[in-house]
Amino acid sequence: MTSLRSPLGWVLRGMAVLGFIYLLGPLLVIVAASFSDTGYLAFPPQGFSLRWYHAALADARYLTGFFVSLRLAAMVAVLSLIIGTAAAVALTRFAFPGSVLLEALFLSPLVLPALVLAVALTLFFSANPIAPPGMTRLVISHLLVGVPMVLRVMLPVLRRVDPAIEEAARNLGASPTKAFFLVTLPVLRPGLIAAAALAFIFSFDEVEMALFLGSVRDAPLTVVLYGAAQMQMDPTVAAVSSLLILLALLLMVAQQMYANR
Amino acid sequence: MTNSADLVLDGLARRYGSTTAVARMDLTVAAGELVALLGPSGCGKTTTLRMVAGFIEPSEGRILLRGKDITTMPAHQRDTGMVFQSYALFPHLSVAENIAFGLKRRGVPKPEIAQRVARMVALLQLQGLEARLPKQLSGGQQQRVAVGRALVINPAVVLLDEPFSNLDALLREGTRIELRRLQTELGLTTLFVTHDQAEAMAISDRIAVMNKGRLEQLGTPREVYERPATRFVASFIGRANIFVSRDGRSEDGIPLDGPEGTLVLRPERVTLDEAPAEGPNAVAGTVDLLSFLGTGTQAVLRLPGGRQLLVEGPASLADRFHTGGPATARWMRDDLVALPAE
Repeated sequence: MTSLRSPLGWVLRGMAVLGFIYLLGPLLVIVAASFSDTGYLAFPPQGFSLRWYHAALADARYLTGFFVSLRLAAMVAVLSLIIGTAAAVALTRFAFPGSVLLEALFLSPLVLPALVLAVALTLFFSANPIAPPGMTRLVISHLLVGVPMVLRVMLPVLRRVDPAIEEAARNLGASPTKAFFLVTLPVLRPGLIAAAALAFIFSFDEVEMALFLGSVRDAPLTVVLYGAAQMQMDPTVAAVSSLLILLALLLMVAQQMYANR
Repeated sequence: MTNSADLVLDGLARRYGSTTAVARMDLTVAAGELVALLGPSGCGKTTTLRMVAGFIEPSEGRILLRGKDITTMPAHQRDTGMVFQSYALFPHLSVAENIAFGLKRRGVPKPEIAQRVARMVALLQLQGLEARLPKQLSGGQQQRVAVGRALVINPAVVLLDEPFSNLDALLREGTRIELRRLQTELGLTTLFVTHDQAEAMAISDRIAVMNKGRLEQLGTPREVYERPATRFVASFIGRANIFVSRDGRSEDGIPLDGPEGTLVLRPERVTLDEAPAEGPNAVAGTVDLLSFLGTGTQAVLRLPGGRQLLVEGPASLADRFHTGGPATARWMRDDLVALPAE
C-alpha cells in the first residue's frame, strides 16, 4: 500500500484537492456572491452584507415555493417508496414470465431526459379531458422517475437479503406480521431511507417537469428561482441557493451520522 | 423419557401440478431419536422437512407432533426449531439477541431469557462473542449461533437442513460430532436433511433413504448398508458391485455361489490374489486402476465381459499389483447380499 508521505502520496492528495475544488467550486462562488454588497451578482464579492438574505426571507414567493417543494417532494418520496419497494419485492421474490423485461421497463424512465418526459406529459395531460389539478399532475409526473429510482436502490438490497430470515423468524414463533416488523423491515431500513432520500431530492430539485406541468399558483421553489434568475438575477437568487446548499449539507451530515451510528 | 413417537408423518404427500415432490410418506421419529432424510438433490427430503416446519402445505396426509395434529397449523405456532442451510441469522441482531429471539416470542421472563441464553452460549463455546453481529463471525461460529437459536427454545423437534454443507471438510467432521453429542445429551428428537451419505451414517440413529419423492428404505446405518432394500439404496449408500444371478451365473457369465436374483457385493468384501480363478465366486481380470487412499487401496478390476469390479483392500495392494497387470478377485458366499425382488 502506498504511504501518504511518499511522493506518489502527495500527488494523490493534490489530485483529491483539485477534484474537490472542481466539484465544490461553483457552490462556493454562489455562496460568496450571496454576501456581496452590490445590486447585481458579483464574484469576487464586493463588500459584505446580509441584506440579500433579508430580501430572500422577506419575499413570500420564495417561502411559499419552498413549502410547495417540500410538500411535493414528501409526497413523491412516500409514494415512490411504496410503489417502488412493492415492485422490487415482486421482481426479486417471485420469478414469473417476463420479469426480466418488466425490470428493464421499470428502469427505463431513468434514461430519458426530463425535458422529453415533460413535453410528452404536457401533451398527454392537455389531451386528457379529466386532467388532475397542477399539484397532483406534478406528483404523478415525478413518480415516473421517483419509482425507478427507488427500484434501482431496493433491487440490490433485496437480492442481498437472505429470504430465509423471515422463515427463521416464523419458525421461532413470530407471526408473519411480527416477522415482517421485527426482521424484514429493520434489515431493509437503511436501503429504504436511502431510496426515499433519493426520490425526495430528485423531486425537490426538478425543474423541467415543474415548469411545464406545475400550476402558477403552486409553483415549486425551483420554478420561482428559475423565473427570478431570468428576470432580475440579483444576489437574492444566490442567497436562496446558499440556504438550499446549507439545508442539503445538514441533511447529508444527519444521514451520515445515522448510517455510522 | 419414554421411547414414544414424537413425530409422525402419516401418508404425507406434496404434488406440484402433475409432478410429485413427495409421495405418500410414512415415517415415525421416536423421542430423542435422530433420523436422517438422505437422498440426492430433488428427492423430496427438503420438501418433507419444510412441510414439518410449516413452510409448505402438504397435498395429502397428516403430521403429528407429540400426538397433536399440526398439519394445518401455521409455522409460528408449531414447536419446531430449524437450522437453515444458509443459517438465516438476523443480520441486524447480535449473537445474544439472535439466540434470545425465540424466547422473547414465547414471552419468557427477562431474567430467565438471560440465563438460558448464557447457558446456550457456554454450551456452544460462544463466550465473548455475545455482542457481535453475525457478519463479524466466522462460518463455524455462525453455524453454532444458528444451532443455539434453534435449541434454546427447547423445541419438540429439531429440524436440520444441510447444516454442515457450508463448512470446510475439517470443520465439518468436528461440528457434526459436537452436534451429535449435544443432541444425545439433551435428548432432542431430530430430523436431519442431508445429501451426504457419510454424514448420515456417522451421526444418525436411523436413515430414511429417499429417491424421486419416495421413501426407499428406513433403517439403522448398518441395516441400510448391509441389507439395502433397493438397487438405488445399494449404490447411493457406499459403493456396490451389482449382479443379477440366474442358475449360478451372473448376467455377464461370472460363476456365482449364492442366492438367485439381484445381488450386492461390497468392494471391501472382495480380495485380490495371483492364483488362477477356479470355481464360483472367483474371477480373473486386469487391474485398470489402483488408488491409494491412506486407510487402504481402491482397485478397479476390468473383467473379460467388460464389467469394472470395484475392490477395496489394504494399502499393500498397491505393492502387490500394478496397473495393467493380472489379478484374481474372490469373495465368500455370505458376501453376496440379495435385494428383495423388485
